[in-house]
Amino acid sequence: MDQLSPQPPRTLLAFQNRLKVFRQGSLRGRVHLTPYLYILPSFLFLSAILGVPILYGIGVSFQDYTLASLVSKHAPFIGLRNYLTVLQDPAFATALRHSVIFTLASIVFQFTIGFGLALLFSKSFPLNNVLRGLLLSGWQIPSVATGTIFLWLFNLDYGLVNFLLTSLRLISQPIGWVVQAESALPAVIIANIWLGIPFNVILLSAGLAGLPEDVYEAATVDGANGWQKTVHITLPLLQSTILAVLMLGFIYTLRVFDVIWIMTKGGPGDATEVLPTLAYRLSFVHFNFGQSAAVAVMILVILLVAAVGYLRFTQREEQFA
Amino acid sequence: MKRATLGSLTRLALALVAVGIYVLPLYWMVSTSIKSPDQIFQKPPLLFPAAPQWEGYRAVLGLPTERLNLYINMAVYLKNSLIIASATTLLALVLAIPAAYALARFSFRGRTPYLLFLLVSQMLPSVLLVIPLFVIFKSLGLINNYPGVILADTALALPFAIIILRASFLQIPIPLEEAAWIDGGSRLQVLWHVILPLIRPGLVAVAVFSFLTAWGEFVFALSFLQKPELQPVSIGVFQFVGMYTTNWDAMMAFSTLISIPAIVALLVLQRQFIGGLTGGSMK
Repeated sequence: MDQLSPQPPRTLLAFQNRLKVFRQGSLRGRVHLTPYLYILPSFLFLSAILGVPILYGIGVSFQDYTLASLVSKHAPFIGLRNYLTVLQDPAFATALRHSVIFTLASIVFQFTIGFGLALLFSKSFPLNNVLRGLLLSGWQIPSVATGTIFLWLFNLDYGLVNFLLTSLRLISQPIGWVVQAESALPAVIIANIWLGIPFNVILLSAGLAGLPEDVYEAATVDGANGWQKTVHITLPLLQSTILAVLMLGFIYTLRVFDVIWIMTKGGPGDATEVLPTLAYRLSFVHFNFGQSAAVAVMILVILLVAAVGYLRFTQREEQFA
Repeated sequence: MKRATLGSLTRLALALVAVGIYVLPLYWMVSTSIKSPDQIFQKPPLLFPAAPQWEGYRAVLGLPTERLNLYINMAVYLKNSLIIASATTLLALVLAIPAAYALARFSFRGRTPYLLFLLVSQMLPSVLLVIPLFVIFKSLGLINNYPGVILADTALALPFAIIILRASFLQIPIPLEEAAWIDGGSRLQVLWHVILPLIRPGLVAVAVFSFLTAWGEFVFALSFLQKPELQPVSIGVFQFVGMYTTNWDAMMAFSTLISIPAIVALLVLQRQFIGGLTGGSMK
């Protein structure tokens, strides 16, 4: 479920406003210990379970940490050698390429479909609420269930997907989706797109609901049609929400592990190996914790760059708001 | 009720098609789970199973079936998932309530950085955490027992739990709380007896979210729990994938059973979830 831990895109705007109020307040008032005591348990907990492992992982990435080190608790410091080894390994280049394809394709389709659905559901029609509820029904189901469902849908001989595609004459021969190298990556991408649609619909719907109605009324009076209104009003007004959704989409998609591991374990061969599955394999199959940590740190750096971009962007937006 | 116009009927038709396609995988899971093996391997696929067959469910619930090659008892996995998810929920609530209250009610140096810290900690991939956590937990004796997974799952659920609960606290008017203090309660008494009952919907949403996070969690369970008698439902299904791939009815029955909590929760608590996700800290 981790890939769906949700994240409000406009949260930062509110935080910034609060920051101003709070700075003024705290300069005048006394510093109280009470709030820190309330925060402390959660802070210590998150530091121990999230903070320490990250720092420890960065440390391990500079060490020759293997299965033997796990027993002896000793691993020699080897500087950047893990990084150099990993970067020269063709497996890394392949995983990076797959990660880029997986992430871009997932985001483009999730966003486009999500945006279309959010636009549709922002208008009134019968059963709107019921259908919207159904549209979100798969949002929190365990990723392992998603994985098995799509394995069955993509089954070579009896899968629904091959049946529908051959019935519609879109393909002449059934495709061995997850068992063939060339179709495995598209198969896991499709499963991941399905997973991400509710998240995109929810965030974009919220953005649409916040748009001022009078602009649309004025445009209607001026004779604009629906398409013109979408392109010339909705898209520009929704720009900050859209960028926030895309950046969060990037962060949450680049780290996807569950669905891929469940459906293909990165295979067949290395056809669906992405950076997270490579990092996992290096640790838990090859027991080369040092190289695994090096891959993990590189993913972390990419994610942090995206996160900083997201935070800076939402902050800049706030100044114009 | 509004009069249905041509435009609204067109939109209804579009929405029906879109939702139909979206729900199809879930429908296929449930309908496969109630098919007989003959019906599953029928060509063309049977879109609407005539009479429900329960053999898939019998198989995963450890009841006798005609298939001797299939034996997987969900009960142990269910028990483990219930223990792990309940403990995670409890721990997340205990840690989140005071933090969310402080973030909603006090102005203090470090509040905004702490909120940013929560936002960033939500973005950390568990596959990056699992590798160093495994090494650390190994030396602390937290591998192959419940506490290790519970601690890791709580860390996944906690940041979002704090953010939703903070939004709930912000919705309670401050004067109401002050009135309760004047009536003679300490801050903690008022929080416990007055405020928490008022934010019950938020607490329920957080509890359900934390429960579902731990219920479906995959990576930590896969890496920290190697003993079958300790593994949760997510790993139970995963082992199915390798072992019994021809028993699709049983596999889909298993998947259906473990998806029910999430689907029900989402249909019932939709507003709280979406509110927590979008309105969250804006209020």
